Amino acid sequence: MGNSYNYIKYIKRVAFSNALDSIISLTILSFGISALVNLFKWLVFSANWSVVSLNLPLYLFGSFPGDQLWRPGLWISLFAIFSFITLWGPRWSWLRKSLPFLWVSYAPLGIFLLAGGFGLSAVESQNWGGLTLTILLTSCSAIVSLPLGIALALGRQSTLPVIKNLSSIYIDTMRSLPLIAVLFFGQLLIPLFLPVGLEINRVSRAIIAFTLFVSAYIAEDVRGGLQSMPKTQKEAGEVLGLHPFQITYLIILPQALRIALPSLTNQAVGLLQNTSLMAILGLVELLGVGRSILANPEFIGRYIEVYIWLAAIYWIVCTVMALIARHLEQQMTLDKKDF
Amino acid sequence: MPPIVKATNLTKSYSKGIFALDNVCISVEPGEVLVVMGPSGSGKSTLIRTFNGLESFDSGQLNILGITLEGHNNDERNIHRIRKRVGMVFQQFNLFPHLSIIENITLAPIKVQKKKKAEAEQNALLLLSQMGIESHARKYPSQLSGGEQQRVAIARALALKPELLLFDEPTSALDPERVNEVLDAMRKLAEQGMSMVVVTHEINFAKEVGDRVLFMDSGKVIETSTPDIFFLNAKHERSRKFLNQIKK
Repeated sequence: MGNSYNYIKYIKRVAFSNALDSIISLTILSFGISALVNLFKWLVFSANWSVVSLNLPLYLFGSFPGDQLWRPGLWISLFAIFSFITLWGPRWSWLRKSLPFLWVSYAPLGIFLLAGGFGLSAVESQNWGGLTLTILLTSCSAIVSLPLGIALALGRQSTLPVIKNLSSIYIDTMRSLPLIAVLFFGQLLIPLFLPVGLEINRVSRAIIAFTLFVSAYIAEDVRGGLQSMPKTQKEAGEVLGLHPFQITYLIILPQALRIALPSLTNQAVGLLQNTSLMAILGLVELLGVGRSILANPEFIGRYIEVYIWLAAIYWIVCTVMALIARHLEQQMTLDKKDF
Repeated sequence: MPPIVKATNLTKSYSKGIFALDNVCISVEPGEVLVVMGPSGSGKSTLIRTFNGLESFDSGQLNILGITLEGHNNDERNIHRIRKRVGMVFQQFNLFPHLSIIENITLAPIKVQKKKKAEAEQNALLLLSQMGIESHARKYPSQLSGGEQQRVAIARALALKPELLLFDEPTSALDPERVNEVLDAMRKLAEQGMSMVVVTHEINFAKEVGDRVLFMDSGKVIETSTPDIFFLNAKHERSRKFLNQIKK
């Protein structure tokens, strides 16, 4: 009872201490309440969620052949399972130790499950779509651009002028281009550069473009980590007789990546959201599916439902990624103190 | 036996007229403990950092364990050969914070000397127990006090079974009550016959453990004497002035 009394007193002091404050508070309050009431009314009475419920497989898998839906289904479920295992922290150490390997193999596994081969029937990349394609674009680009970005960051610190300048020029060029331009380049120009007879599909071209773009940003994040390393760590490695290469990958990089982890998480979440740009370039990933459903006369005008639904999916996936990243950060610092 | 360190006319200058090392000639005999003293900026650290190639020099000659270094353009392989046989302990410990204590110590034996992990760990535990900190083997550097970290750093240097140990002000970054635990560890090493070059301001250590004291100022060797002579009856005016300063 005393508590609620204090609470009322606190609100009074903060929001209603004088006439002007009271007017402002009441105005904001009335707007807020009316917005909530309207939203609730709309959600319950006006919204027609059939545009979502009737098309669930489309949102998840695009136009993947109906009898093969278990393949993208399994792949998406694995994302949920791996996330769950990572966040809950299993007691079995063999499982914990295999987690990095599981995550690294996730993207190649996705390509195998979607494209087929080795006993699975082949499915053309035109039929990939929905959340599956969004996650595929994100995971494949991320898994390639991380090592590439690290290599570029190390290249930029190299003492060899050729490597140093090439890395710097590449990084600076990519960072001065808008992503959408790089994506257009990927879709329209890459086929022109390839030898006759060699064709790569639109999805691969998109992954190449994302990788080229994101690796430049990752390189800068990693460089930030590298530059914050004191010179004494390198010296300590040198006097132990370690080879320069060993010093980099045993001593400098593990510490630099730890420092760069928060900004790398940012890049990963940004990458996932940026894959929605591919909707403009003709891939039916999550946003593309939404747009094509809206073009169906049956669901015409159901914009708000579709976009709220898409926002919810993006929110869930991004939140899971952020949670995993935070978990990783905590583990890396806790390791040093929890004994 | 030939000296394990022999420097002849070692010279290094930063810019016009300022010498970090000015015609330094010294030698260190096997099993000897040479204490290097001098005011800050006198070139003590620069001198011992040339011994394992962390610092280059302009002219003169340096012979470490039979391997000769010339001023510039040294063969990287020669420097590497020296580093495998010479250990170094830094003022700021410079442990690897992302590795546990035992990993810090076994890193070089496994990666440089290609020892088996079990063998390297066994040796590391032995060294840690000699240093009196075997219970910390699985902890991380940030969980240890400064004195403990420095003893780990000594164990890390010893793990490669060096023929010469260099100490660059090993106790200057420690809390006063932690200084002795490190000095005791060094004293034990000296008793076991380890050849050591120690840059330090610890007079008592120099007196009790040092075989000779080298006094430097502005890059020059001012005098080299036994501790008895240096601390009671320094030959050189500059040395006496310095000793008066630090005794205050």
